Amino acid sequence: MNAFADIKPPPLADYNHADCMVYGIGNIGRQDDGLGWAFIDWLEGSGLCDMARTTRHYQLHLEDADLISTCRKVLFVDATKVADVTDIRLENVSPKLDFSFTSHALSIPAIMATCQQCFDRVPDVQLLTIRGYEWELQEGLTEDAAANLQTAIEFFSQRGP
Amino acid sequence: MSRKLVIDPVTRIEGHGKVTVQLDGNNKVVGARLHVVEFRGFEKFIQGHPFWEAPMLLQRICGICFVSHHLCGAKVLDDIIGTGHSTGRNITVTAEKMRRLGHYGQQLQSHVTAYFYLIAPEMMFGMDAAPEQRNVLGMVEANPDLVKRVVALRKWGQEVIKAVLGKRMHGISSVPGGVNNNLDIAARDRLLNGEDGLVGIDQVIEYAQDGLNMFYDFHEKHRDMVDRFGVVPALNMSLVDEDGNVDYYHGKMRIVDADKNIVRDLDYHDYLDHFDEATEEWSYMKFPYLKDIGREEGSVRVGPLARVNVTKSYGGDTPLAQAALERFHDYTKGKANNATLHTNWARAIEILHSAELIRNLLKDPDLQKDDLLVTPPKSDWTGEGIGVVEAPRGTLLHHYRANPEGNIEFCNLVVATTQNNTVMNRTVTSVAEEYLSGNELITEGMMNAIEVGIRAYDPCLSCATHAMGQMPLIVSVFDAEGKLLDECIR
Repeated sequence: MNAFADIKPPPLADYNHADCMVYGIGNIGRQDDGLGWAFIDWLEGSGLCDMARTTRHYQLHLEDADLISTCRKVLFVDATKVADVTDIRLENVSPKLDFSFTSHALSIPAIMATCQQCFDRVPDVQLLTIRGYEWELQEGLTEDAAANLQTAIEFFSQRGP
Repeated sequence: MSRKLVIDPVTRIEGHGKVTVQLDGNNKVVGARLHVVEFRGFEKFIQGHPFWEAPMLLQRICGICFVSHHLCGAKVLDDIIGTGHSTGRNITVTAEKMRRLGHYGQQLQSHVTAYFYLIAPEMMFGMDAAPEQRNVLGMVEANPDLVKRVVALRKWGQEVIKAVLGKRMHGISSVPGGVNNNLDIAARDRLLNGEDGLVGIDQVIEYAQDGLNMFYDFHEKHRDMVDRFGVVPALNMSLVDEDGNVDYYHGKMRIVDADKNIVRDLDYHDYLDHFDEATEEWSYMKFPYLKDIGREEGSVRVGPLARVNVTKSYGGDTPLAQAALERFHDYTKGKANNATLHTNWARAIEILHSAELIRNLLKDPDLQKDDLLVTPPKSDWTGEGIGVVEAPRGTLLHHYRANPEGNIEFCNLVVATTQNNTVMNRTVTSVAEEYLSGNELITEGMMNAIEVGIRAYDPCLSCATHAMGQMPLIVSVFDAEGKLLDECIR
């Protein structure tokens, strides 16, 4: 675990409110790209955060600016192939129009900036990335990715300070 | 020394393509091609699957026009089990109207995506603007109120899809012989009246009119460029009803020429008698054409521009769209319109038309009826079917054959982008000749002009072949021997 030394574990209680959302990004038909949805599966099954809204999508769309405009806090969960993420990383995200738009990809900072520009508000946003390894057309996580998911689960299951 | 300019990938389209432009020693364009360089293979891997899985699996070909693929496949399944229009025992009125509602909802949200997210940035900032600005996030910065309205429009369209298919993407509604649900009153009312965070139908129609007015303003300011950009000939094809008016869900295929004379009316079940497909070694995308006329004269254009060229009227039930259509028809004095950028005009009209069609359906009590399914006897099994719908990008055809066990043995998909292959290549050539010929230096604006020409068709290369990954623009210049002279990436 290497990536959240500067951020204390957020107790799930922080997200356990109706104006909070946990948003899984990914594609369960692409092996470890399903990590974001798998985290949501666990969260919904655990009963630890029943008040929060949960959602799953393949990728971000501009409409997500409208979606998060109704939230006070949002936790995005996504798989990553970035090698310097050993297992999981949690980071705070700030709005930024990074002009990353294509019809197939839009960044979280750009969604936040759009929310800010169009709806005059922006929620607190954190991004949990979980390291994945294989992205072929196949369902199911690899063993190493499943272990990283477990690390994320244990991290979020900790009691808050 | 001759040079070859490569635009790879072409950005802000659905999928991955590249363009090569061959220049001679005087920098005159001597050839241009749109290459589709990916392979997807849905026609192959559906083989062996149970026939009823096809509309569910094949809609996964695309994240934008999945409803069209779902419905097209459903119409094939109707044929296979012995129901549908062609058998004289059609699906129920409620089932057909539910399918139409989902179809119109998808057309609205797909057109809104293309028109506002992908095309409007050029209208707002111009073709020479920096790529960092010339996209939807540039619009967020320049006009957040417009983007807010666009988000509201797309969201509403997605809610229509969700009300019919259960999910915003890749849901299931159509089954062999009908649909699996009607429209509940609560969903109907929130789409009609809106609720907190969701606009109602009156606002949708107002926003659609704003979108059309945006084109009128742009056209007024840049009339010469818009009217002269990529004017290329092609026959025009669309599904039409018995009155010769566009029907997005069902009808006969009508093909008209430049004077709007009818070149062909055909039952789409006979498409193999009329169409052939040419191939080129430099592209995975085929080139369909009317076989008796030949490839050069017999290639067709499909999609918004073709549809508004073919249709005579929208009828009295959609008066705002009808007025817009009449203005469009008057502009070319009854002739077919071949101006590539007028495709965006046609697309804006169809956003309005879709909104009015949806409003009419939402007010139709047939959608709350329970007669959803026709189940013919097993003896009516035909084992083969063909379905056609007007997808947002144009005429879409699915054709399957299943064995007696019900497993698919043959599948052929002819998607709109494939139909447009020849006319897109003509557009690329026309724009390259206009913007690149005689110039020593290739500017960003020149390259983007070519992309604008392609983007007007809103090509879905995902549907035609495959799409994945990031899409940076790489431009490479080659000499006649294929030696790389220069390369830049944005």
